[in-house]
Amino acid sequence: MRPERNPAIVWRLEKKIYDEAWEAARNDEEDFDDKGVLTLMLKGGIHQLNLVGAEIWTRVDGQRDDAAIAAEMAELFGWEPEETVEAVRAFLEGIASRGWITLS
Amino acid sequence: MTLTHLASPVTVNWGITARCNFVCSHCFSRLDQAPELSTEDALRVIDILAEHSVMFLNYGTGEPLLRKDLFELTAHATGKGLKVTMNSNGSLIDEAAADRIRDAGFHGVGISIDSADPATHDAFRRMPGSFDKAVRAARLLRERGVPLSISSVICKINHTGFPELVTLALELGAHTIDLHNFKCSGMGGLNKDQLDLSPEEWKAFYERAVPMRETVHDIEIAFDDPILSLLGAEDKAALVAGSVCGKLSLYVKPDGEVTPCGFIPVTIGHILKDDFGQMWESSPVLDHLRHKSATGKCSGCSKFSACLGGCTARALAVYGSYEAPDPHCWVEEGKG
Repeated sequence: MRPERNPAIVWRLEKKIYDEAWEAARNDEEDFDDKGVLTLMLKGGIHQLNLVGAEIWTRVDGQRDDAAIAAEMAELFGWEPEETVEAVRAFLEGIASRGWITLS
Repeated sequence: MTLTHLASPVTVNWGITARCNFVCSHCFSRLDQAPELSTEDALRVIDILAEHSVMFLNYGTGEPLLRKDLFELTAHATGKGLKVTMNSNGSLIDEAAADRIRDAGFHGVGISIDSADPATHDAFRRMPGSFDKAVRAARLLRERGVPLSISSVICKINHTGFPELVTLALELGAHTIDLHNFKCSGMGGLNKDQLDLSPEEWKAFYERAVPMRETVHDIEIAFDDPILSLLGAEDKAALVAGSVCGKLSLYVKPDGEVTPCGFIPVTIGHILKDDFGQMWESSPVLDHLRHKSATGKCSGCSKFSACLGGCTARALAVYGSYEAPDPHCWVEEGKG
């Protein structure tokens, strides 16, 4: 499936916190994914994604499909590829159900 | 888990002019006619906001369309990636202005309509014919595909008639109706006794209005009032507790002075003279708003962690204290 962002969403990467989260991830700190590193707004609602969510979100460009995104995520975080595909799909389906992306 | 604030404001509300062709009964800025920045300085303001990744820039305060360089500023801001919106009374939006608004790439325009009854709206806005002009502006914008919201200040004139306002907003094609709570700042302070609701009336209003979000479709009904948490109706996705002022948003006055919000007349610096990032991160005033302590009836109230005492602007205006309980709060002492 090929995800596309809802064009009504306005978002930004929280650069300083993103860098801090990556630093924590590299140091194997358990709470690296507790930080909100990407802020997005839709219909007046404001939400944040953690580092993993943000890395997936920034790869949702209407070009990559879920497998391509999962492959990049597996490499980025050193995860096992098959499990990563499942995790990425679950995440994409989750944010699709909230109207943040469409899946085709 | 809520945060005290984000790394920079999501929204900056900018009073690009204090001038207005209306004299509304509730206006927060009429009594503070600050001079406005030159075009050159206004462009610098936009650069600063863009450098700090501010997402939304909202023009308000006076009537934005009275500024001759409005479209030049907007083009600059949209070119920098900012999503630009404005609140307007609609009186200056004819076909040509609507074309320019569309072409400028406004992310949205909010038109003020406070009652579905033209005479009531006109009396509140103290401008005969203003209802018809606002409705015309809304239609012209929608005909051009400009995202439209309707902005209404809930007070004595409309707290029971708001369902008709929602119906009107739907008919005009608005994506959102903002039912703003009345603030007793500026003219609103002078006219508080005639316009503000009692705590019990606020409770009754929200008990009727909040459920409409579930039953009325095709339009977002927005409130932006921290005391909504008293009904357990707070935004489940809220990133910050209490008011968003100084946590997700800031206000820039026409002369460039920065305050936590338009209704809190406490300057924390000047956008062109002080470091914006440092102001946001280190202002003692903002720190105070982000870490409020429960006082009075808020002490021991189970809702305090969510509402943080409600609207700080109202507490400051009525009681002279950031930490006083919101005067709109209907919870009785010891029962929250």
